[in-house]
Amino acid sequence: MSGAAGSGGGSVGSVVRRFLAEYSSGTASRLKVLDAYLLYVLLSGALQFGYCLGVGTFPFNSFLSGFISAVGSFILGVCLRIQINPQNKGDFQGISPERAFADFLFASTILHLVVINFVG
Amino acid sequence: MTSVYETKYTLFNGIFLFSGSHTFILALTFVASIQALTPTHYLTRRDVERLKASLDRPFNDIEAAFYSIVGLSKLGVQVSDEQAACNFIKSNVDPSSVDSLFYAAQASQALPGCEVVISNETGELLLAAVSEDSSVNQIFHAVGALSGFGLPLASQEALSALTSRLSKEENVLATIQALQTASYLSQQADLSGIVEEIEDLVARLDDLGGVYLQFEEGLETTALFVAATYSLSDHVGTEPAMKEDQIIQLMNAIFSKKNFETLSEAFSVACAAGSLSQNRYHLPVIVVPDGPAAVSHHQPILRLQVTNVMSQPLTQAAVKLDHAKSASTKASVLHQMPFAVSEDIFELNFMNAKPASGYYDFSISVDGDSRLIANKVELKVKVSTEVGITNVDLSTVDKDQSIAPKTTRVAYPAKAKGSFTADSHQNFALSFQLVDVNSGAELIPHQTFVRLHNPKTGQEVVFVAEPDSKNVYKFELDTAERKTEFDSASGTYTLYLIIGDATLENPILWNVADVVIKFPEEEAPSTVQSKKLFIPKPEIQHLFREPEKRPPTVVSNTFTALILSPLFLLFILWIKIGANISNFSFAPSTIIFHLGHAAMLGLMYVYWTQLNMFQTLKYLAILGSVTFLAGNRMLAQKAVKRIAAEQSSRLAKYRTLR
Repeated sequence: MSGAAGSGGGSVGSVVRRFLAEYSSGTASRLKVLDAYLLYVLLSGALQFGYCLGVGTFPFNSFLSGFISAVGSFILGVCLRIQINPQNKGDFQGISPERAFADFLFASTILHLVVINFVG
Repeated sequence: MTSVYETKYTLFNGIFLFSGSHTFILALTFVASIQALTPTHYLTRRDVERLKASLDRPFNDIEAAFYSIVGLSKLGVQVSDEQAACNFIKSNVDPSSVDSLFYAAQASQALPGCEVVISNETGELLLAAVSEDSSVNQIFHAVGALSGFGLPLASQEALSALTSRLSKEENVLATIQALQTASYLSQQADLSGIVEEIEDLVARLDDLGGVYLQFEEGLETTALFVAATYSLSDHVGTEPAMKEDQIIQLMNAIFSKKNFETLSEAFSVACAAGSLSQNRYHLPVIVVPDGPAAVSHHQPILRLQVTNVMSQPLTQAAVKLDHAKSASTKASVLHQMPFAVSEDIFELNFMNAKPASGYYDFSISVDGDSRLIANKVELKVKVSTEVGITNVDLSTVDKDQSIAPKTTRVAYPAKAKGSFTADSHQNFALSFQLVDVNSGAELIPHQTFVRLHNPKTGQEVVFVAEPDSKNVYKFELDTAERKTEFDSASGTYTLYLIIGDATLENPILWNVADVVIKFPEEEAPSTVQSKKLFIPKPEIQHLFREPEKRPPTVVSNTFTALILSPLFLLFILWIKIGANISNFSFAPSTIIFHLGHAAMLGLMYVYWTQLNMFQTLKYLAILGSVTFLAGNRMLAQKAVKRIAAEQSSRLAKYRTLR
């Protein structure tokens, strides 16, 4: 539990530990799989951005296409997660999880088409 | 007999004189139709000699003999050997050809004492040729032959034959020949119909640029027309219906050609020249200056040649200067002065009027004969003088103006003793005045230059000396201002004064003094290269677009490896969460869906490497529709399974609750 030393840090630490505990128990595994994917895409985008800051924007179109691919995939993943979360069922009456997944695939296809066109 | 015509003439001349009295340059800009034209072309003495030489040739046949003999007679000279010419005609005449008879008749008439005897049959032949059935050319030659041999001719019948034939042959040459024919017919016949043809022909002339008037058939036709018109007009006693400007334009066209290809062309020009210099109605006048149109104190007399178109002097004419105006100020210097005659040249001592130097516009009129046309002439005359330089002061002026300037006076053409210095605290100044040596008036020539020349480096810098309000020329050299012109090269420079103008007889190049110029030694003067303007300049190397700066390969490879690391993290997380594919049903739609999806991803790669958008869209459409259909089926099946599972779990929960 929280120690005497670093009480502020300790409170942040306890919040984080509690959040992780709730997350791992309260979230369906399907959603956790999706969250892992989202984390991957986030890291990928961040790394690309960091690299661009480091070495410059020379083939700017390539950087943009990669970054936009990461951002777009993240957004589409988030949309899918919202739509298949059983807790949001009330907001998405007409959209079954399969439909959401099909939409996700379709949008991803278009995104990838554009990205590949732009990467050069 | 001519009194009626003379009054008509004075009236016409009055109108022409009134319209001709405008000032403009001899170089001819035809501005408005009321201004009279000045002839641009005429036969100079050399042209006349050349024309005579081209006519005076040994003849091959009777036609050539005709051209030579008659042509030369129009110019007022005879063939070199008259007797031989007469014999030639007598031996070469062909009594059966109307043309040959015409040539013989006219040529023998031109030669004094040459009689060609012809038989009655020949006379009959000629009379028979004068009929409606012969061409105008034949009628002309027949009538001309009959008239030349002195044989009787029925003028009225000839006239009617001519008129009816002319109405059938409507071309220009035939009409001209009709005019010539009519001049051989008796004055009793009513020739007014033929005379009216002159006006019609004038209307057919082509105006070229307002300067020339000629027939499209060419020079020869135009010249023959002029000759025929005047011979008929003189014969009938009616003035030809041509305006003064038209006559001058015709003159310009006819006398513009100086070398002739054929004898007939030379003949036609000779006839035109003869008729324009001697007819009852129009006498074009040519006024040319004898030598350059310039006067000065050494040569105060302006000399003019006043001639007719064949350069024969018109000594009976009265030449008068209407007015002479200064070209720049337009002030009238002289007016109503007559020219004096001296052996074919008309002279006027213009310097008596004490004109200032410069250019003057002279309006000259030639009178004395009512027939004269183009007798108002504009001439530009130059009056030159000599310039003298006075009050030449060289001084060094202190910049701070603390020390009074030291002035040295120099007299032309001596050189100032000693040298003058111009450096950072004193300027060099020069002032002078230019006067007309003869009149004492101040002059402003076009060129007043001060030239500084460095004998060691070959540098030369030229400045302009400007006059101030009192017409005193001043020049000042300030080393600080003029550093760039001299390339900051200090040293001793020789100073020259250059004075020049078109109206000066004595242009001046005067080495006035030596000037030592010292420039402040801020920068070491670069090796003085005389300004080479016309050597090749340094080559410009094209700079190709530099490629962008790229990171070293190590860095980019490292990053490529790094970017794959989140993927490994993903797999690890997925394994940890427990994602699996245990639910994978091997239904055909599932397999097709996955294969199709994989193919679409593969297509993306191929698109990146090879394809263009259109091809990709085509393949994507195919794969996409397959994948969509399969996926739709697969997801529907999954949905059914999920709903069934939910229902069974709800049922189970319901059962346990009960």
